Amino acid sequence: MTRSLALTLAAVLALAAAASPVWAGHEIAVGLQCDRVGPTNTIGPFLCPGAHDYVKLVNKKGGVDGHRVRVIEIDIKYQVPLAVESYEKMKQEGIVSLMLYGTPQTYALTPKLTEDRIPGTAPGFGRADATDGTKYPYVFPVAASYWSQATAAVKFLLDESKKQGKKVGKVAFLFYDNPAGREPLPILETLARREGFELRTFAVPPPGIEMSAQVLDIGGRFRPDWVITHLFGRSPSVSIKELKRVGYPLDRVVSFVWGAAESDVEAAGWATAEGYLGLQYAGVGQDFPVIQEIVKMYRDEGQAPPKEMAHSVYYNRGVLWAAVHVEAIRNAIKKFGPQIKGEHVKQGFEMIKGVTLGGLVPPLEITPNDHEGGGWVQVWQVKGGKWTRVTDWFKAYPDILQEALKKS
Amino acid sequence: MIHRECGVLKTSYAADMALYPVPLARWTVGAIAAAAFGVFPLLAGDYLLSIANLAAIAVVGAIGLNILTGYTGQISLGHGAFMSVGAYTAAILATRAGLPVWVCLPAGGAMAALVGMIVGSPSLRIKGLYLAIATLAGQFVIEWTINHVTWISGGVQASIYVPRPALGGLLIQSQREMYYFIMTVAALGVVAALNLFRTRAGRAFIAIRDHDVAAEIIGIHIFRYKLLAFAISSFYAGVTGVLYTYYLGIANYEQFTIVTSIDFLAMIIIGGLGSILGSIFGAVFLTLLPIVLRYVVEGIGGLFFTIPDVLNLITNVQLILFGALIVFFLVVEPEGLNKLWRNIKDYFRVWPFAY
Amino acid sequence: MDFFALLVVNGLLVGTLYSLIALGFVLIYKATDAINFAQGELVMIAGFFVAALIQLYRVPLAATVAIAVLAMMLLGFGIERVMLRPLIGRPVIAVIMATIGLAAILKGTGPLVWGAETKNLPLPIPEAPFLVNVLDVVVLVSPIQLVAAGVSLAFLAVFGYIFLRSRMGIAMRAVADSQQVAMAMGINVERYFALAWAMAGIVSALGGIIWGNLLGVDVHLALVGLKVFPVVILGGLDSIPGAVVGGLIVGVVEGVAAGYIDPYVGGGTKDFVPYLLMILALMVRPYGIFGKEIIERV
Repeated sequence: MTRSLALTLAAVLALAAAASPVWAGHEIAVGLQCDRVGPTNTIGPFLCPGAHDYVKLVNKKGGVDGHRVRVIEIDIKYQVPLAVESYEKMKQEGIVSLMLYGTPQTYALTPKLTEDRIPGTAPGFGRADATDGTKYPYVFPVAASYWSQATAAVKFLLDESKKQGKKVGKVAFLFYDNPAGREPLPILETLARREGFELRTFAVPPPGIEMSAQVLDIGGRFRPDWVITHLFGRSPSVSIKELKRVGYPLDRVVSFVWGAAESDVEAAGWATAEGYLGLQYAGVGQDFPVIQEIVKMYRDEGQAPPKEMAHSVYYNRGVLWAAVHVEAIRNAIKKFGPQIKGEHVKQGFEMIKGVTLGGLVPPLEITPNDHEGGGWVQVWQVKGGKWTRVTDWFKAYPDILQEALKKS
Repeated sequence: MIHRECGVLKTSYAADMALYPVPLARWTVGAIAAAAFGVFPLLAGDYLLSIANLAAIAVVGAIGLNILTGYTGQISLGHGAFMSVGAYTAAILATRAGLPVWVCLPAGGAMAALVGMIVGSPSLRIKGLYLAIATLAGQFVIEWTINHVTWISGGVQASIYVPRPALGGLLIQSQREMYYFIMTVAALGVVAALNLFRTRAGRAFIAIRDHDVAAEIIGIHIFRYKLLAFAISSFYAGVTGVLYTYYLGIANYEQFTIVTSIDFLAMIIIGGLGSILGSIFGAVFLTLLPIVLRYVVEGIGGLFFTIPDVLNLITNVQLILFGALIVFFLVVEPEGLNKLWRNIKDYFRVWPFAY
Repeated sequence: MDFFALLVVNGLLVGTLYSLIALGFVLIYKATDAINFAQGELVMIAGFFVAALIQLYRVPLAATVAIAVLAMMLLGFGIERVMLRPLIGRPVIAVIMATIGLAAILKGTGPLVWGAETKNLPLPIPEAPFLVNVLDVVVLVSPIQLVAAGVSLAFLAVFGYIFLRSRMGIAMRAVADSQQVAMAMGINVERYFALAWAMAGIVSALGGIIWGNLLGVDVHLALVGLKVFPVVILGGLDSIPGAVVGGLIVGVVEGVAAGYIDPYVGGGTKDFVPYLLMILALMVRPYGIFGKEIIERV
């Protein structure tokens, strides 16, 4: 049964492959776990096409040193058992690296990845202490962890207040009440002590569709100078609406990376959300050469560019995601030749430096110790119906992050 | 199981309760055991073994829930949480006390049994769907507790890495070793459950399910046996959680949510309530369904669509098919796969000389 | 004190939103004796449908509401016809499972037909809240919450009338009590099942419009279904006034818990405090505040 299906599948793939040029080089498989129908299906269907399109572009331009990269996507519905099953399937297909999807799935696969020596990337999710490459050798956050996002958000609001000649007295932290949501708490507490502001936290329990009491508390009783939000799913847009409703100025609200997409603002209404600030770990919009090349690739094929591109926050993150994998493979091939395995690609990741794709990717520098690549973010703001950039790439308080890493 | 029971006439209660109704049954069970422990793990690769492992773990959980829901008639929506209780108990014992797997496994089950009894205690007063919702409350309270008490969860990330289990000097690490370990536990679970319903307690459970008031009148202490059912059922759930923990190498409550509870309920309803074989069918069926559907839809979809379109399409079609299949099975056979299996067996009972 | 009043009023208004979802659930339970796990998904699909009508096809709002109500009613009929009619007389748990299957089908259909991206569902209701001065306490009230309250109360009145006074309602109650006896008394069980699902469809349509406006429309909209359980248990699974009162209680308790307990325990207690309340309620009144007391005789 399985075999005949696999044969059918192989035949289909062969047909698809027949259309593209014949490859002299070797084929390198990369696994991609995606969620297109589960609880994060407002993200997956826009994130994963970005990864596919970037790899397609790379292959079109001759692959990685003449070797074709094949992305094997399996939908895991945000479920741990399916993540495990699909990982075994991908391993059988000989993947050299894996794009992980979702925090619980990342946790569950971390021990397996380490045993099998296959590097996995978890940009913007997973655990913050995976930054420490000596402790988690085969997990790469590659983008700013929640800890780095916390330090960056605080630095941003302190700088802004200074510019306006004000002092920061009170900061509210509105977070989704799950492990990922609570992860930045210790860092924020340390920052509050050091910078001398009062921090109060407001938990939003899953599923996060109702938070009027917490927001009333923020807007009516606590009245902070700034609000930092760290929400998932549909709750970011609810927070925008609720904060607006109690009359809190949205240009003093800074969201972490999963509450700063087009769809979050769309659901709340662009006019309502005017001024809302968000952290980004990849560039937003289509003014990047690599995005234009993808558009051109589609146009050359006589097709319209994919509609997922309009959701540039997630799409571009997908491009970044694939780009670091391609870069790691390139580094690995350069050093070890075309017969690479997971452990070689791991070293390839640790050599990534200066891949910016014209500003879409931050100046990452991944080392054997730092698997996060620095923890860079940009701050963007909703202005006139689109996200506009406020700051360039920056990172903050490396000492606090180092200390937290050492302690964990 | 697979043997045919043609011409078997039972003349005593002892014969009716026998585990092996005909001598041939011993041989079929032996053959299945030999296939499961001897042939399959040697022939199958890591991928097939990983699916088998996930299915075997699900079997343990499904049997546990079936003891409570199928045999005792108490619906529980809290089994996901009981699994996480087992998972964290084992993880804490394994990492902080350094205890070996053969201690952690029953300890996780025992802890879950205790919590299950507490959650099940409202069953004294309430029953049916109201009880189902009371156990749902248990689910949320347990989730919240694990999430917020860092002593249990081991920090804000609420996940504890556990070392690979070792039996004696043997480290259980590869999928094949895991398979032997999980299958042994699952087989013990199946045998224990089969025997449970040959005892006084097991028959009391069934009596309570069939008519609680009548059961009380014939001298069954309802509350005690309901709690016992919760305890045994949660013990299985706890063991399931421990197995997941050792299999994945991590305890993380986010994989034991209300969705898990509903999934397991789906397994036993599709498999067949009040049937051990049904629990096995249901668990295997629901574990394999998304995987098989993926192959089918990819196979068919690939012929008509370019690859990027397929990815978005197939996933949604899969989900729809998943729901449609559940509905289809319920409409065709509301008593589950087990009944379907019995129907097939009944048809072949006197085959080929049917009258 | 001021803040407490604020939380209570806000909680009451949020509670009416919960009631709206719980009503559909209670209708199904009342008539068919089954727990509908697809209530949130019905609301979601209604939201998708309305958002598509407004955004893609530019249908005016009044027409949209009418079409959506009609379509959801038909969907209710359809679900009953295809999925539930074959299950009449079968164990209740089979019906429950069927609704779980239905939930998966609806969850796949919405994004498949209209795309997974989040859609805005604009309503011509002003967003800005107004201040109301009640006994020297100034509270914020937003118009959408008033609309929801109005719709809930209207449904309460209509369904209350139907179930208590009309022949149809009495027949439905008989069906819920015992399908077999109802059949024996010459009641067309299928017809009343279909009616119950159609009514639940109508409620879901309005729930989808109002919640869709609040949350935006995508699969997350289905999560409102989870809020139903404490509401209906508190109120009683089979009581329509219970759905409304349960909603109000849950709304207030959640708000007060978030305002007064959370700061001390450092976590969101509002998701489980209603459940704790629910367990206590079950201990005292196992059939809910308004639920029908079932007397068992042997």
